[in-house]
Amino acid sequence: MAFVRLIVFGFLFLSVIYLAVSFYSRSVRREKLENHWAEDHPGDTDSIERDAYIEAGMQAYRKGFRRKLIVLVYIIPAIAAAALFFLIN
Amino acid sequence: MMRTIRRTLLAILAVVVGVMLDYTLPQHDVVRVVGTYQERQDLESWTRIFWSSPDYQSGTQPNRDVQFIQTYKKKTYLFGFIRSDAERPMVYRNEDTSWSWPPYFKFDTATLQAEADNLKSTQENPKWAVITKYGWRIQLFTAFPNAMAIRAVESPDVTIIPWFNIVFFAAVIALVLFIRAMWLQFRQRTIDPALEDTRDAWEKVDAYADERRGRVSRWWRSWTGR
Repeated sequence: MAFVRLIVFGFLFLSVIYLAVSFYSRSVRREKLENHWAEDHPGDTDSIERDAYIEAGMQAYRKGFRRKLIVLVYIIPAIAAAALFFLIN
Repeated sequence: MMRTIRRTLLAILAVVVGVMLDYTLPQHDVVRVVGTYQERQDLESWTRIFWSSPDYQSGTQPNRDVQFIQTYKKKTYLFGFIRSDAERPMVYRNEDTSWSWPPYFKFDTATLQAEADNLKSTQENPKWAVITKYGWRIQLFTAFPNAMAIRAVESPDVTIIPWFNIVFFAAVIALVLFIRAMWLQFRQRTIDPALEDTRDAWEKVDAYADERRGRVSRWWRSWTGR
């Protein structure tokens, strides 16, 4: 029973962290794209081309490998728990 | 006033977290095992919090057998960082933590008891060992620290590196910095723009009100002549 409780609450807790990290990662990526555009097109802060460029960049991010790395939020604690289990017992 | 309240609350929070960490994080004691025993414990009072919840105790039993390790340990000060040559008796409980708090996943109580039995020695011919434990000995409440591991050492002057705590605090620092970065990003990119929108709208209302007031006072002046 305690094992089920650990799994359920651990999963919920890590899911909150997962959502926060993916929100943060998306925000950082968008900011980078905006800064990149601003470097090449000084003065342009609100054009259709800029929106298209940022949308394309976000699309690439959605399909990219970096976004999948956020799954490590689940994997690292699981590995740490398993390591602890084998070290203690 | 607000600052004093804030500081007081923060100080209380820091003390509570510090006390919980001192209870929960593993510490090492240099000991000489003198005996082991098993005793039935009543677990119905509030001091239940000082005992573990292993799986075989379903939570409904009012009492159960607990194993103990009697030792003489080298006295320590300042969270175990300073070790003295003096000795004092210390009794550890030996309980599974199972899948419950604290998350050490200890299931090898019986094995640990055998290891402790194997290290029994006398004052004249001591065998030294290092016990990893968490928890406190509080005689008033019959609370015992929980032994998690024991290993034999050559001499009581052994150097102990607290790897677990090093990794733990490094992870905590990394986590705090990461959360701070996340918060700053969230404030800069999500909260501030929203506030700015609100401010813009408010300024429009304000400007409109100013203009209306201007018209009213001009009309008033046209009557009074000033």
